[in-house]
Amino acid sequence: MVKLSRRAFLRTAGTAATSLAALAAAGGMHALLEGSQNVGPGPDDAVAAAAPAQESWVKTTCALCPSGCGLNVRVVDGRAVKVEGNPLHPVNQGACCLKGQAALEALYSPERIRRPLLQTGARGGGDWQEISWDDALQRVAGILARLRAAGQPQSVVFLHGQTRGQMRDLIQRFMTAYGSPNAIALESPDEQAARLAMFVTQGINGFPVYDLANARYVLAFGGNLLESSRHVMAYLGAAALMRRGRPDRGRLVAVHPRLSLTGIKADEWVPIRPGTYAALALGMANVIIDDGLYDKDFVRDFTFGFEDFSDDGGRAHMGFKSLVLDRFGPDQVATITGVPAADIARLAGEFATNRPAVAVLPLEPHGLDDGHELYTAMAIHSLNALVGAIDSSGGVLVQRYPRLAPWPAMAADATARAGLAQPRADGAGSSDENLGAGAAGRLADRIRSGQPYPVQALFLQGVDPVHDGSAGPDCAEALLKVPFVVSFASTLDESAAHADLILPASSFLETWGDDYLEGTGFAGLSLHQPVLESPVGDTRDVGDVLLQLAALLGGPVAAAHPWHTYGDLVQERLAGADVDAAALARNGIWSELSYPHAAPGSPAWRDVVGRDRLNAPSDGRFDFFARELFAALETPEDAGCLPGFELPVAASDATAEAYPLLLISQGLMTEPAGWAGIIPSLQECYGLQSNTRWDSWVEISPTAAAAAGLASGDLVWVESTAGRVQARARLYPGLWPDAVFMPGWQGRFTNVRWGRGAPPNLQVGANANALRAGDGITRVRVYRA
Amino acid sequence: MTRWGMVIDLDKCFACQSCTLACRMENNTPVAGPDQAARGRTILWNEVLPSIDGSYPRPTVTLIPRPCQHCDSPACVRVCPVGATYKNEEGLVLVNYSRCIGCRMCTVACPYQVRYFNWYPPEWPEALRAHLNPDPEVAPRPRGVVEKCTFCVQRLRKAREGAAAAGRAFQATDYIPACVQTCTGHARYFGDLDDPDSLVSQLARSPRAFRLQEEMGTQPKVYYLKQG
Repeated sequence: MVKLSRRAFLRTAGTAATSLAALAAAGGMHALLEGSQNVGPGPDDAVAAAAPAQESWVKTTCALCPSGCGLNVRVVDGRAVKVEGNPLHPVNQGACCLKGQAALEALYSPERIRRPLLQTGARGGGDWQEISWDDALQRVAGILARLRAAGQPQSVVFLHGQTRGQMRDLIQRFMTAYGSPNAIALESPDEQAARLAMFVTQGINGFPVYDLANARYVLAFGGNLLESSRHVMAYLGAAALMRRGRPDRGRLVAVHPRLSLTGIKADEWVPIRPGTYAALALGMANVIIDDGLYDKDFVRDFTFGFEDFSDDGGRAHMGFKSLVLDRFGPDQVATITGVPAADIARLAGEFATNRPAVAVLPLEPHGLDDGHELYTAMAIHSLNALVGAIDSSGGVLVQRYPRLAPWPAMAADATARAGLAQPRADGAGSSDENLGAGAAGRLADRIRSGQPYPVQALFLQGVDPVHDGSAGPDCAEALLKVPFVVSFASTLDESAAHADLILPASSFLETWGDDYLEGTGFAGLSLHQPVLESPVGDTRDVGDVLLQLAALLGGPVAAAHPWHTYGDLVQERLAGADVDAAALARNGIWSELSYPHAAPGSPAWRDVVGRDRLNAPSDGRFDFFARELFAALETPEDAGCLPGFELPVAASDATAEAYPLLLISQGLMTEPAGWAGIIPSLQECYGLQSNTRWDSWVEISPTAAAAAGLASGDLVWVESTAGRVQARARLYPGLWPDAVFMPGWQGRFTNVRWGRGAPPNLQVGANANALRAGDGITRVRVYRA
Repeated sequence: MTRWGMVIDLDKCFACQSCTLACRMENNTPVAGPDQAARGRTILWNEVLPSIDGSYPRPTVTLIPRPCQHCDSPACVRVCPVGATYKNEEGLVLVNYSRCIGCRMCTVACPYQVRYFNWYPPEWPEALRAHLNPDPEVAPRPRGVVEKCTFCVQRLRKAREGAAAAGRAFQATDYIPACVQTCTGHARYFGDLDDPDSLVSQLARSPRAFRLQEEMGTQPKVYYLKQG
């Protein structure tokens, strides 16, 4: 393959050293900036000739959200000055969202930690001392070596967030070679539920991919499809195509208690009582089955558990049809969900008769948020099987991946084998990673209780569980219980503030790497490469740090990691049979841009239904009745294997009188999932409907506000059993009357003076996550501050 | 003569505000920060304006992305006492910052509220100055002048130079503003309204087309296409 050298990339990716005679030298502009009283040239003024600037465009891949868009970065005289979308990239097709536009504010952020930091006083106290990388790595390696020598490699936990391309495999490999089963992805219950629902129904261990571009009817449950969903950029492009890019106009329906930009721009917003998506999906299934509108051939030939059945032992089991016909009649569902029965019937009819139709699960934190996310996700995904939208154009696809060069063989020594045989620290069944997902939210609890064993060292990468509560409540306390915490934070987020040591990660604009084309279905790769000659500070790529730690540890850990840099590792993997490296280098992305649809029952069908099943037969049938769950559950009952609905505890519990409102969550377009620091321009357009900048707000319905005597702009407390936070009330008619909404990203601390008159230390808005009392929906009351 | 105009299809605009920030990063509008933002001094040439009406369960929310409308009969130009704001021969409404005296008559006269006053010299946290666009047309504006969307006039100049360097004639399709390039729904179109065959001309004649506050007689060169 073509050698992926950095210089070659810079040459092929950009126009080398364009001479722009009329472009003023960067120094000239900076002179202007220093004395801002100087008068800049007006657009009509003659532009002074100046020394030619060195200008190039570098192709790379964004990591500020899971979309993974191709970027084209303008670099002038060694400074990255503008981001555009890469037109050749299938995810964003030349477009670039506001987060990508503001990525340079993250790259050059004054909040960035530029050298390794050691906390010298009490953790959380904020006494930091800069130390060298050598010193920092020696400290980490020393502790890792000591724990391993003591036969406790399992006591090391690596907690990570979004990972790209080869990175997750590298983390897994490092931890495996070291001897710990605790490489833990901090995935939200909603994301885990989507993955798990795909697995127990369709037998595919992965997120569903939705072919919106070819769908005639798109029914999006929960989440925020066109603002914060996992593949938001692909969906935005597809939604535009549905409307104006093809002869038959598609219809987009958004189901959520809150009217987001998705709901506003959709063809229809269906407001629904918080936590009742499953009932609506099953109510729609009731109408579709009762009226005979389902795909009878598909259901008969390629699904399991639609009708009641008897197992091999002669025991009778309930099927999906009986479940929905007996328990989810439209009137009953209307009472549960607040969606009128006539609307349920109409939506069901529209969904079943405007094929290809697809029911979309939210693949994002707090997308379902009802405490029973798996059964809710199964209910929603079952609608797709009813209309035969499995692997068909306009339906649910299965993400394809390119064949890469194999990882080199790795031998675990006796210490590693003993460590790997231990249970996972978060309680997930490590021998069964498919069904073992879903435990990360209990990690903080388990660390505090020292179960199943004390955690001695914890790595935090790309996560801020103290802020967002994703590892469970009271996470700061859990971190303080761990003797040694290492963070790879780029800015001093709330979790890093409780670490012993910060090994500041380079940003995605400074490192080598790769990404798959997730969300498109296509097998292919997208390239990460540094846009600058050297990182902005003395930061390092997390992959490089792991390789350096492996080398310091020596022995089998070092032997398992024969690469000098993460870039070398990526290059070796990408030398696989499928990859056109020259195209990847030239275009920043390589893919055949085609998806191999499998016809039901064809040999390829087993790639899309049943492929990853462990205990259920891979017979090419979609499970309405999840045989995988039947095999996995200790005391399987039919209700535990079928989609289902339970009223979220919070909707009916004993605190209902004192806390009459339901706090709901929804991601926003302006929230960067991949950056825990302040991006000032995102703050300046943060809340569109509420016209809020640099702050939080509490959205409350006019009826609830009237009952509480509140007006828009009032400073209020929002209080739950877990705590209270302050924000300004905004009356918003696009909200379920008993619900309140607060943005979940805000409430971060910054030590930078952002703009004239701003204080040097600031908490930007309020942290709504502090109100969460547990799984599902939180009850709150709102009163004037 | 070329007459630059824009068409925004509200059916494909999802109000993501990517235009807003593409504009900021291209044109070096400063970070206002929490204090100045609270005083309404955020400078974003290309905002999305929300309007919320009606009641649950069927509220009406309209979201209008709003660049300068580059009016053919611009109110701002009529009221400028010093000729700092002007319309050039290709129809772009621009500001000569060195002539502007900061009287802000234009900010009041503009029915679209697209004009922003620099209450103080533009500021960034020092580290963020590294990413500023070095194009001379977008050098940060001094205190006391009014600024606004220029349809990224620096890109027009660079496109002309690029065509000349390639030894070919400049074409209208060589040039698009930053907001058009970045648009996530591919909802923005840009081109020559005087060319009857251009895409923007054709779309501007669509039955879905309308302009903001046409009754003001300003003759905007930004057309919107109705949603649905």
